[in-house]
Amino acid sequence: MTNRETEWSALLQAADAGDGRAYARFLHAITPVLRGIVRARGRNLAPADQEDILQEVLLAIHAKRHTRDAAAPVLPWLYAIARHKVVDAFRRRGTAVHLPIEDLAEDLLADPDPDLLALRDSNRLIGQLDPRAAQIVRAVSIEGETPAEVGGRLGMTDGAVRVALHRALQRMAALVKGEDR
Amino acid sequence: MKTDDLIAALAAQPAPQPLWLPGLALRIIGITALACGVFLLVLGPRADLAAALIRPEVVMKTALPALICTIALWLAVRQARPRLHPRAGLAGLALPLGIALGLWLLAFATRAPEARFADVTPPALAECLGLILLISALPATMALRILQRGAPTAPALAGALAGLASSAGAATGYSLFCMQDNPLFYVTWYGAAIGIVTVASAVAGSRMLRW
Repeated sequence: MTNRETEWSALLQAADAGDGRAYARFLHAITPVLRGIVRARGRNLAPADQEDILQEVLLAIHAKRHTRDAAAPVLPWLYAIARHKVVDAFRRRGTAVHLPIEDLAEDLLADPDPDLLALRDSNRLIGQLDPRAAQIVRAVSIEGETPAEVGGRLGMTDGAVRVALHRALQRMAALVKGEDR
Repeated sequence: MKTDDLIAALAAQPAPQPLWLPGLALRIIGITALACGVFLLVLGPRADLAAALIRPEVVMKTALPALICTIALWLAVRQARPRLHPRAGLAGLALPLGIALGLWLLAFATRAPEARFADVTPPALAECLGLILLISALPATMALRILQRGAPTAPALAGALAGLASSAGAATGYSLFCMQDNPLFYVTWYGAAIGIVTVASAVAGSRMLRW
C-alpha cells in the first residue's frame, strides 16, 4: 500500500508539472486496481459492461483531476472518486444480468490479483454472510481454491459448493445495493 | 473503445489548474458580501447602530450568523474535494448552534412572559424572512455554481453547506439593518430563513452538484 501511495503520488506530481507520459503511466497503474473494484462490486455484470464502468471511472478521475490535494495522500482521493462513480454506474444500470454459476466461479478463479481496496470492501461484505457461506466465498474468491477442493474440506459436493457460492454472491450484491444511500 | 486507447487520449490533454479551496471560499464570501453591501446601500443600516452595538444581544445578532457563515463556508469548500467521509467535521457546527440555543433559552428565562413574543407580528416576520431570503438568493445560487468545479461525493450535503454559508452571511448583513434585538425573535426567525435556504440548496445541490 505504501509503495503504491508513493509511486502514484510521484507520478501525479510529475503529471501536474506537465509530464503527459507520467500521467499515462499513472492511469495504466490504477487501471487493474479499478478493474478489481468494479469486478468485486459487479460480479454478475458481463466483462464488457465492467470495462464500460471502468472507463467511466477513469474519465471521472481525469475530469476531476484538479480536485486532488497535492499535500494529501492519493489513495483516499482516488478511492473516493472510484467508489462514487462505481456506485453511480451500477445505480444507473439498474438490476444486473445473471450469469451461469460456472462462469462466475471461473471469473473468480481467474482473478489474478485480488486488489487490496476491493478486498477490504469485500471482506466487510463477507463478514455479513453466515459463517459457512463466508468460508466458501473466502476460500474460492480470495484464497483461490476450486469448488471441488472446498467441497472436499467441508464435506459438500462440488455442485453444492457452487450453488452456495452463487447464493452468497447474490446476497453480497444485495448488501452492496442496500448500502447505497 | 479500448481502455488503453482511452488512457492515451486522456494523457494527451494538458494538466489542469489545481483546485485552491481558499480561492473558492473567497469567491463565495465576496459575492455574499456584495449582496449584503447592495442591500445596506439601498435600505441603510439601522440609525442607532453604533449605540446599539454596545449591547451584547445586539452584538450576538451579528456575530452568531457571522460565525455560522465562517464555519459553514469552510465545511462547504472542503466538500469540493472528493471525500471518503463527507460528514467528517460537521460537528464544528455544534458550537454556534449551542450558542444560539443558549441565547434563546437565556432570553426566554429572563424576559417577562408577555414580553417574550410581543414583537412577533406578520409585518416583522415578512420583513425578516423576506429580506434574508432575498439577500441570500444570488449568493446561494453562485455558491452552488462555484462548487460545481469540485467533485463533492455528497452533493446534497455540499449544497446544504453552501446554502448555509450564504444565508448565514446574508443574515449577518441583514442584522445591521434589523431593529429586532430580542434573541427569541432573531434566533428563531433568522434561523428559519437560514433553514429554508439550506434545505433548498440541499435539494438544488443534489441535482447541480452531481458529476
